[in-house]
Amino acid sequence: MITQASNYKQRKIVDQFMRGLMVGATILALIPLFLILGYVIFRGASSLSLAFFTEAYKAPQMSLTGDVQSAGGVLHGIVGSILIVGASLLFALPIGILAGVFLAEYPANSVATTVRFATDVLSAAPSIVVGVVAYILIVQRTKQFSGLAGSVALAVLMIPVITRTTEEILKLVPHTVREAAIALGTPKWKTTFTVVLPAATSGIVTGALLAFARATGETAPLLLTVLGNNNLGYSLLEPLAALPLLTYKYTEMPFPELNDLAWGTALVLTGLVLSVNLLARWATRSRLK
Amino acid sequence: MSLTKNRQIVFFCFLALLVFLAPACGSGPAPTDMTKKDQPTVEAETAEPKSAPKTTNSFKPRAVKAKLTASGASFPDPIYQKWIESYKGVAPDVAINYQPVGSGQGRKNFFGGSTDFGGTDKYASDEELETFGKDVFHIPTVLGAVVVTYNLPDLEKIQFSGETLANIFLGKITKWNASAIAKENPGVELPDEAITVVHRSDGSGTTSIFTNYLSSVSKDWQTKVGTGDSVEWPVGIGGEKNPGVAQAIKQTEGAIGYVELIYATANKLPTPAIKNAAGEYVEPNLASTSAAAEGFLKTMPADLRVNIINPPEGEKVYPIAGFTWILVTKEQTDKTKATALTDFLYWSLTEGTKDAEALGYAPLPETVREKALEKLTQIEVAGKPAFKLPK
Repeated sequence: MITQASNYKQRKIVDQFMRGLMVGATILALIPLFLILGYVIFRGASSLSLAFFTEAYKAPQMSLTGDVQSAGGVLHGIVGSILIVGASLLFALPIGILAGVFLAEYPANSVATTVRFATDVLSAAPSIVVGVVAYILIVQRTKQFSGLAGSVALAVLMIPVITRTTEEILKLVPHTVREAAIALGTPKWKTTFTVVLPAATSGIVTGALLAFARATGETAPLLLTVLGNNNLGYSLLEPLAALPLLTYKYTEMPFPELNDLAWGTALVLTGLVLSVNLLARWATRSRLK
Repeated sequence: MSLTKNRQIVFFCFLALLVFLAPACGSGPAPTDMTKKDQPTVEAETAEPKSAPKTTNSFKPRAVKAKLTASGASFPDPIYQKWIESYKGVAPDVAINYQPVGSGQGRKNFFGGSTDFGGTDKYASDEELETFGKDVFHIPTVLGAVVVTYNLPDLEKIQFSGETLANIFLGKITKWNASAIAKENPGVELPDEAITVVHRSDGSGTTSIFTNYLSSVSKDWQTKVGTGDSVEWPVGIGGEKNPGVAQAIKQTEGAIGYVELIYATANKLPTPAIKNAAGEYVEPNLASTSAAAEGFLKTMPADLRVNIINPPEGEKVYPIAGFTWILVTKEQTDKTKATALTDFLYWSLTEGTKDAEALGYAPLPETVREKALEKLTQIEVAGKPAFKLPK
C-alpha cells in the first residue's frame, strides 16, 4: 500500500507555487517581445504602401504649414542592406565555417582553445567598436566611405556566430559516422568534407541565417563605414543606404511626418529579421534526422 | 537522399547571393571619366525643357557626370536634400550624397579627405585649419535661429530678456511667476508653476550658439558655465538631439528649452520674443534672423568665419542666430567633381533660395551671398579657376 509522505500537501503547494512563478516569469519575458512587435506594427503599418518599397528617398516637399506631398520610399535602403549584408556573408561564411570545422574536428590543442576563447571575446565585442576599427583601417586609409567597409565590419560580427554554430552542430554528428568513413580507408580531410559537413548542412545554414539576421539589424558598424546615401546605388565601392541607418536618420528629422517613416522602416527591418529567424527554424526542423 | 537535398539548398543560397551581388561588382568604381564631356550640348539641351518652368534665370550648369559625397551638420539637412533633388532636374548626371552626421563628424570626415565637401554649423577652428594645411573656404548657405520654447498650455504669449534666460538656465529662477519674468511680461498672467529646464544631452552646434548667446548677455553664465558644443548644465534634464528636446518639452508641463527654429515650427511649439541689444523684443522668424547677419556685415572677416550672436545694433534683429557653412578645399584635384560642386553651390545660392524660405531657413543677406559667390570663383583645379560667375 502506498502511503503519502507526511509533508505531501506542503510539497504540493510549493510545487504549485514554483510552477506559477515560472509561468509568470515566462510571460514577463515574452511581454517586451510582443509589446515591441505590436507597437512597431501599430505605428509602422500606416506608412507602408507600394511606393514605400518601390521608390527611393525623396526630399521633403513641404512647407512648414503644409503636409508631406510625397514621402518617398526605402528601396535604396532595402537594396543597400541586401548588398552590404550579402557581401559580408560571402566574407564571413568561408572563414566562419572553416574555423568551426577546425574547432570541432581538432578540439584538443592549444590553438583551438585560443581560437575558441578569441571567438567568444569577439562575439561579445560592442558593434560600435568594430565599426570604429573598420573606419580607421578602411575608410581613413582609402579616403572613401563604401558599402564594402561596412561589409567587412559586419563580417567580423558574423564570424563568431557562424564559427560557434558550426562547431556545435559538427559535434552533434555521431562519432560512429566518422569511424565508419575512416574504417573504409577515407582520409580525415575527405571524411570531414564529404561525410561530416554534408550531414550538418542544415545546421550550418541555420548559423548563417542567424548571422545574417544579426548583421541586418546592426546600425552602429554602418554609421561610420557606409555613411548612407539618399540615391539608389548598386556599387559596394560607394556609400550605400541601409535600413537601420534610415530608421536612425528619419527619427532625427524635424518633421513629424518623416518621423513616422522611421516606424515604417523599423517595421520592414523587424519583418525581415523575424522572417529570417523563422526560416532558420524551418531549416533546422529536420536536423540530423 | 536528404544529403543531396541539403546540398541543393546550400547551392541555391549561394546562387541567390551571387544574383544580388552581380550588379554591385559590375558597376565598379564611380565613372568619373570624361567620355560624357565630349557630347555636352546634347545632354544639356535634353535636360533643359524639364526644368524650364522652374528656372527663369538662364544659369545652365556645365554638363558633367559626377558623384559627390558629403556629410555634416544635421540642421540644414532638409534644405540640402531639397537642393540636391531639385538640382537633379537641372543637371541629371550629378548625384550628390549629403548625410547628416553632425557638424563635428562632418568636419572630421572632410578634413580626413573621405568627403568632397563638409557641412558645419560651427566654423572650423584655426587649429583644425592649421592641421589640415591646405586652404579651405567656408561658404555660408543659410541662416538658422535657435529659439527658446516652453510648455505652458494656458499661456498665450511670453517674452524674455537674455539676463532672465541666463538666470532660468542657471537655475536661479525656478518659478514661472518669478518677479523677473513678471516684470518683462506686464499684463500676462503667469502660472505658479515650477520651471523644468530641458537641454541637449549630446554635443551640438545648437548648444554652441545658445551658450554663446547666454555668455554674451550674462557674466554669471560666462564664468560659471561658459560656451561650447556641450557644457556642464547647472540644472535640468537632457534630450537627445533637437527632436529629443522638443519631445521632452511637449511631455513636461512647465518645461523650457531651446531648439532650432524649424523644429519648433514643425512641432507647433511656441517661439517667444527675445530682447535684443537694441532693447526691443523680437520674435524669431526668417526676416529677423537674416537681420542678425546684417548687423555683422561691417565686421565680416574675409574668410566668412563669424558668429552672429547678439548683434550690438538693429531694432528688428533676433539675437540668437548663426550661419551654417559648406567647407570646400581651394585646390581641387578632380576637374569633373570641381565643376559639379561649384555649379551646384552657385545654383543653390541663387535659384535655391526660394526653396530655403519655403522650408523655413533664413536666406543670406545680399552682401554675404555676394561674398560667398566670390569664394566660388576662387576655387581652382590645377591652378585654373573652376568656376566663373555667369554674366
